[in-house]
Amino acid sequence: MSPKKRWTYLPLLLVVLALVAAGCRAAEQEMQPPEDQEQEPAGDDDAQGAQTDVGVTEEPCPNAVNEDNGCIYLGIISDLTVGPFAPLAGPITEAQAAFWRRVNEEGGIAGYDIDATTYVRDNEFNAEVHNRVFQEIRGEVLALAQTLGSSPTLAILDDMRDDSIVGAPASWNSAWEFEDVILESGANYCFESMNGVDWATEQVGTDISLLHIHFPDDYGNDAAAGSEIAAQAHGIEYSAQETPPGRDQQAGAIEAVVSQSPDVLFITTGPQEMVEIVGRAAARGWQGLVLGSGPTWNPALLGTDAAPALEAMYHQVGPWGTWGTDTAGHQAMRDALGDVSEINDGYTAGWVWSYPMRAALEAAAENGDLTREGLLQAVSALTEVDYEGMLPNEAGNYADEPEQGAFRQSIIAGVDTESETGVSTIEDFFTGPTAEEHALDGPCYELG
Amino acid sequence: MNRPRSAGRGRPLLYTSYAQDIAMFNTPGKRWGVAALFALALLAPFAFNDDVVLILALALVAAIGAIGLNLVTGYAGQVSLGHAFFLGIGTYAGAVLGGDPEATRALAFGLPMVVWIPGAGLVAALAGLIVGPLATRLRGLYLAIVTLGLVFLGGHLFKEARFITGGIGAGRRGAALDFFGYRFDQAGPLLGLDLTRAQKQYVLALVLLSIFAVLGRNLARSGVGRAFSAIRDRDIAAEVIGVGLTKYKVLAFTISSFYAGVAGAVFYSIAGVVEPTAFNLLLSVQYIAMILIGGVATISGSIMGAIFIMTLARVTQEIAHYIPYISTQAIGGGLINVFQLEAILYGLLIIGFLIFEPRGLFGIWFRTRNYWKGWPFSY
Repeated sequence: MSPKKRWTYLPLLLVVLALVAAGCRAAEQEMQPPEDQEQEPAGDDDAQGAQTDVGVTEEPCPNAVNEDNGCIYLGIISDLTVGPFAPLAGPITEAQAAFWRRVNEEGGIAGYDIDATTYVRDNEFNAEVHNRVFQEIRGEVLALAQTLGSSPTLAILDDMRDDSIVGAPASWNSAWEFEDVILESGANYCFESMNGVDWATEQVGTDISLLHIHFPDDYGNDAAAGSEIAAQAHGIEYSAQETPPGRDQQAGAIEAVVSQSPDVLFITTGPQEMVEIVGRAAARGWQGLVLGSGPTWNPALLGTDAAPALEAMYHQVGPWGTWGTDTAGHQAMRDALGDVSEINDGYTAGWVWSYPMRAALEAAAENGDLTREGLLQAVSALTEVDYEGMLPNEAGNYADEPEQGAFRQSIIAGVDTESETGVSTIEDFFTGPTAEEHALDGPCYELG
Repeated sequence: MNRPRSAGRGRPLLYTSYAQDIAMFNTPGKRWGVAALFALALLAPFAFNDDVVLILALALVAAIGAIGLNLVTGYAGQVSLGHAFFLGIGTYAGAVLGGDPEATRALAFGLPMVVWIPGAGLVAALAGLIVGPLATRLRGLYLAIVTLGLVFLGGHLFKEARFITGGIGAGRRGAALDFFGYRFDQAGPLLGLDLTRAQKQYVLALVLLSIFAVLGRNLARSGVGRAFSAIRDRDIAAEVIGVGLTKYKVLAFTISSFYAGVAGAVFYSIAGVVEPTAFNLLLSVQYIAMILIGGVATISGSIMGAIFIMTLARVTQEIAHYIPYISTQAIGGGLINVFQLEAILYGLLIIGFLIFEPRGLFGIWFRTRNYWKGWPFSY
């Protein structure tokens, strides 16, 4: 074959490739429902009667509990390997799988089983990866049962709004109160800190000094914003200091506690950092009242050298009761999860965060509209959610503006060596005066 | 011009003129090959679904950064572990210049793409210009360690400059892909075709990569490129024959940083949100892996390496889901779950690659080409 002739085949080859390629995408795209399907005249009116679009099939779920039911697919994007929240994210995800298994065992929702295990993805706690894996499951799921992390969730927020995809977060940022597509549960970090400081003033009065040591991230700053507001309201001498993650990085924080010797120490870090700061500061003679944000506790801490100091001083300000709390919801969770190898309040969080999604799905099914748009409308009409006692029903108010709708109650737990998680509730749901009066006209710490 | 037949046919390694030797596409095979590849690249967004197109778009942008690193490390031989720092500087320069002031609370001026892309490159280049002189005093491992320091310096700067970066955990949005009012970050028509957002981002990435690859290739085959190679191969000898070490080492760092700056800014405007801890040592190592796997001191190798590294996560994901038992372990349970397996496969593939194909993807291509060049007498 002469060289000239050989090249004449090239355009032909390219045309063939083009056709094959175009065929590929089209074939694949047909498998996912097109994005604009909801604009079709009637949508899919299926056997169960509700209108559906993306992420809802009449075929049963893989490993379905009820073979006769259709399937609603929920996506989960969590931190399952290398990210800093992997020890919590695993239990959160497991608890959510157990939650939906229980819903299915009770017959599902309006003729559908719910699947929250097929589209699980790992975000490595990285916004770019989060966006990448979200695009992968974007055309497959009705909603997100979990989207973990603030900056990761921010990376997909515009797409969620565009597609009307609602998602349950795995954090308590005050910014989520202002997002229609985010189904947050429990008081945010900001209210949590306000309630903590209010509670502390009841114990030790207002003529005190308060030091807030916190992570430099959105979690730490959201919490610190709340404690500062409360401290100002009470006229408390206030200071705040950032501390990096890592147990071996706490020398600066410990020094700050010892040198400033505050009456109340508020800590918003992980459990490892908290125990290091409290343990070392106590060993150097500091004494005072310690308040920790929800994520500062871990049952394993009672096995450390710092256990006596924690027993004497530590209090957890949390969004809801820990694992062993006596409510119907907690009991259902413990029954559904069975013997977990290591009890951890990641399970409790994953379980609680699932209730609003269930309520929204039920409401949407009742309206006969299980499309994404229909689900979003159902969410924005929710004024209460049955949390089976884990949270008061009014915590699930997504209909009202943040100022009225945001849930402001926290609980205080103290160290309890008898309890399975090492802490138990000493002050049940309450709203402190600061949180009560705070006008929530914007997030305490803005994202993006 | 009456060219000798062999030149027209492109007998390998037979050059009949100097101009032919240094030509960009010195054989017709290369000329047609590149044309075919470009055509294939143009078809790719229509062949894959949007989630894959997004990964490919990010890979093409990462390739710009890899070419930059290859210029300083591959061509000029100055080992740099500080690439993440320059990527970060460029990203934030781009985000500040081109960010949408209404969409972000961090500093943003909302300038058009034609300003912020070169702007991001220039700011990063300036950082390279400042760092470059270090390279004139150090080389080899010592230079690697000093550039490593840059990553930590940058990490601290990015964490603290909250009004620019949004702070840890919160992050900020990247620059808007706004070309004189035409948005590359929104779905819509392009040249008569109705494209999705990912497809448009891909097209933009391809155009940018083509520009920067041609510029890089031109640089490599010009006097500057030969000076770089001379320094890499023997810096004292290079100086003896009149290559100004200071000038060219600083130039290599400056140009490399320009590439990194552009790549960073565009990468995170496509990825959506950038968080300050992203620019860590791992990112630098990833770029080193791109040029090692692709092929040191080759432009095409940088591109292949970037595409390989950026798509590897997705490829391992597909593989991991075919392995029985583990593939169903999404969470908890047994020894490892499917995501941990993905991470392990990722590591194994890189190790395997460097053991079995140390010359990188370019080496594979090189052997394939030689096989067919001598065909049917391949041995």
